[in-house]
Amino acid sequence: MLRLINISRQLGDFALKDINLEVSDGEYYVLLGRSGSGKTQLLELIAGLEHPDTGRIILDNEDITMQRIQDRKVGIVFQDYAVFPHMTVFGNIAYPLRVRREGKKAITEKVEKAATAMNIKYILERNTEKLSGGELQRVALARTLITSPRLLLLDEPLSSLDTSLKDDLKRLLRNLNKAGQTIIHVTHDYGDAISLAKRVGVIHNGKIIQEGSVDDVFKNPSNRFVARYAGIRNFFRVDISRENGLSVGLTENKVKFRLNGVIAGSDTLLLIKSDSIAISNDMPSNTELNALKGKITELIPSEFGMEVTVEAGELFYINILASDIAELNLVENKEVWVSFPAKEIVVINGN
Amino acid sequence: MSRNSLFTWIVMILSSLVLLFIIAPLAGMFIHTGGAEFLETIKDKEVHQSVWLTLWVSFIATFIFSIGAIPFAWLLARKKFPVKNFVQGIIDLPIVLPHTAAGIALLGFISRDGFLGKSASLLGINLVNHPSGIALAMAFVSLPFLINASRDGFAAVPERLEKAALNLGASHTKVFFTISLPLAWRSITTGFVMMFARGMSEFGAVVIIAYHPMIAPVLIYERFSSYGLNYARPASVFFILIALLFLIALRFLSLKRKEKFINTDAQTD
Repeated sequence: MLRLINISRQLGDFALKDINLEVSDGEYYVLLGRSGSGKTQLLELIAGLEHPDTGRIILDNEDITMQRIQDRKVGIVFQDYAVFPHMTVFGNIAYPLRVRREGKKAITEKVEKAATAMNIKYILERNTEKLSGGELQRVALARTLITSPRLLLLDEPLSSLDTSLKDDLKRLLRNLNKAGQTIIHVTHDYGDAISLAKRVGVIHNGKIIQEGSVDDVFKNPSNRFVARYAGIRNFFRVDISRENGLSVGLTENKVKFRLNGVIAGSDTLLLIKSDSIAISNDMPSNTELNALKGKITELIPSEFGMEVTVEAGELFYINILASDIAELNLVENKEVWVSFPAKEIVVINGN
Repeated sequence: MSRNSLFTWIVMILSSLVLLFIIAPLAGMFIHTGGAEFLETIKDKEVHQSVWLTLWVSFIATFIFSIGAIPFAWLLARKKFPVKNFVQGIIDLPIVLPHTAAGIALLGFISRDGFLGKSASLLGINLVNHPSGIALAMAFVSLPFLINASRDGFAAVPERLEKAALNLGASHTKVFFTISLPLAWRSITTGFVMMFARGMSEFGAVVIIAYHPMIAPVLIYERFSSYGLNYARPASVFFILIALLFLIALRFLSLKRKEKFINTDAQTD
C-alpha cells in the first residue's frame, strides 16, 4: 500500500500542496489533471526522482521519503517513453538486469519472456529509432515490468497513441492490474479515467481537489472545476444486446440506448456530452434519435447558461443557453423530452 | 529551374571570397613546394622527430586531460551552482588570452620555482624544455574546445533518459557511462579532435615553455627565421599532410565507435 502524507514541494513558481493519498495493493488509481497541474511532479516524487520539501511517502509500511531511487522498487514509464536510442529493443529491456549484473542466460530468458508478454518479441533485435509509438510504449513497459516493481507509475501512457493502439494498451493495462500490479496512472483524459480506474483523484494547481470512485467523482463533482473538467457527467454502464439488427445498450435501471454500428460486450460504458443532448417539450419527430421522457429535477446556472438535470430512468445532465430556458419555459418538476443521436454516444469497452 | 535572387548571388560571391582566402595560401604553399625539396624533407630525421613529437604529445595531452575534462563538462551541463557563469568564463579564458602570455603564465607555474615545477622536480622531472611541459602548454590553450563541445553534447542528452536509467536501478556512475557518455559521444569526439588539432598547432605558449625538444610549429618557425621561406615551406607541407591524415583517421575511428554503441548496446556488464 502507498500512502502520501502531507506532501508539499515548491518547484519555481509552482507548488504541490499538502497532498494526501492512499493507494491500496492491486488498485488501479487514476490521477486526473490538466497539463501543469502537478501530476507528473507528483509521480516523480513517488519514484524518488525528486524529494518533497515536507511530508512522508510510505510504501508497504516503510518510509521511503528519502530512500534512493534505485532501492524503491517503484517503476515509472514516462510520457515520452524515454527509450534509450543507442540500444536495441533487447538492450533496453535487458538494461535493468544488466545493471544488476545478472547472468547472460538469465537476462536472455527474462527479456524474451517480458517481450512475449508485451507482444514485442518480433522487434527484439531492432534499433528503437524506427519503432511506432505503440511499440515504444510496450518496450518502455516491458523494461519497467522486468524489475517487478511494487508500484507502477504511468505518465500519460495513452496520450500519443491512435485509437486502435489505445484500446490494445488499455486491455494490456487492465490485464496487468488484474494480475495484481498496483498502478498509478496520470492523465488529462477523463475517458482513460472512466475506462480504467477503480479510484480517481482530480489534481488542480498542485492540490488533489476530489477523490473517490469513478461514479463518486464524475456524478457528484465536489466543485465547479471538477464538474467542468470532467466535461462528461452523462455516463452509463450498460449491457449490450441486439434488437432488430441494431446494437442496444441497457442500463441496470432498464433505460435503453440505441447505438451506432454493431457493438458487442458487457459492462460497457456509454458517454454522452452534456452539449450533445437536446431538451424539448414535445416528443421529437425524428424517430432516429434516442428520445426519453423525464422530469426536470434541478436547474443550475452555469458559465454559458444553465445546467439542467433530467430524471428519465437515469439522470441526464444537459447544458443549454439561458435564452432557451425562457423559450422552453423550463422549470423544476416539469416533464420534458431528452434526445440525442446515436452517433453522439461514445462507447468504451469495459472488458 | 528556380533562379537565384540577387541576394543569393551576393552571398555566394562573398562566401567564395572567404573560402578562397583560406584555400589560396595553402594551395600556394603546396604549388610552390618542389618535389625534390619535399622528398628531401621527408627524409630529414629532424623533421620526422618534431612531427612525431608534436602528434604524440598533443594526443597524450588531450587524452589525459579528457579524463577530468569530460566529467567536468557533464557537471556544467547538468548541475546548477552559484558561480557557474564565472566558471564558464574561466574555461573560455585561454581562447582569448594571447598565447605567449599564456605561456608566460604557465612557465611561472611549472618552472622549478612554481608549485607544479617543484612537485615534478621531486620526481626528477624538469617540466621546462620537456615533452610533459609541452603537453601542459598545449592542453592549457586547447582545453576549452573539449570542455565546451562535451558540455553541449551532454546538455543535448534528454535528462529523462538519465532519470529512466536511475529508476531502472542504475547507479549515477552507471548512468554516466551507459547513457550520458554514449549519447554525447559524437560531440565529445568532435571536442577531442578539436583539442588535439588545436594543441598540435600551438606555437606561442609552447615556444615559451620549450624551444627544445622542437615541435613542428617551432621547427617551421626556426627554419623560416634562420633560412627563409623556401626552406620552411616543405616542412610546413609535410606537417599539414601528416596532421590531416591523423585527423581523418581519428574522425573515422570516432564514427566507428558511434556505430558500435548503436549496434551492441553499450554493454554494461
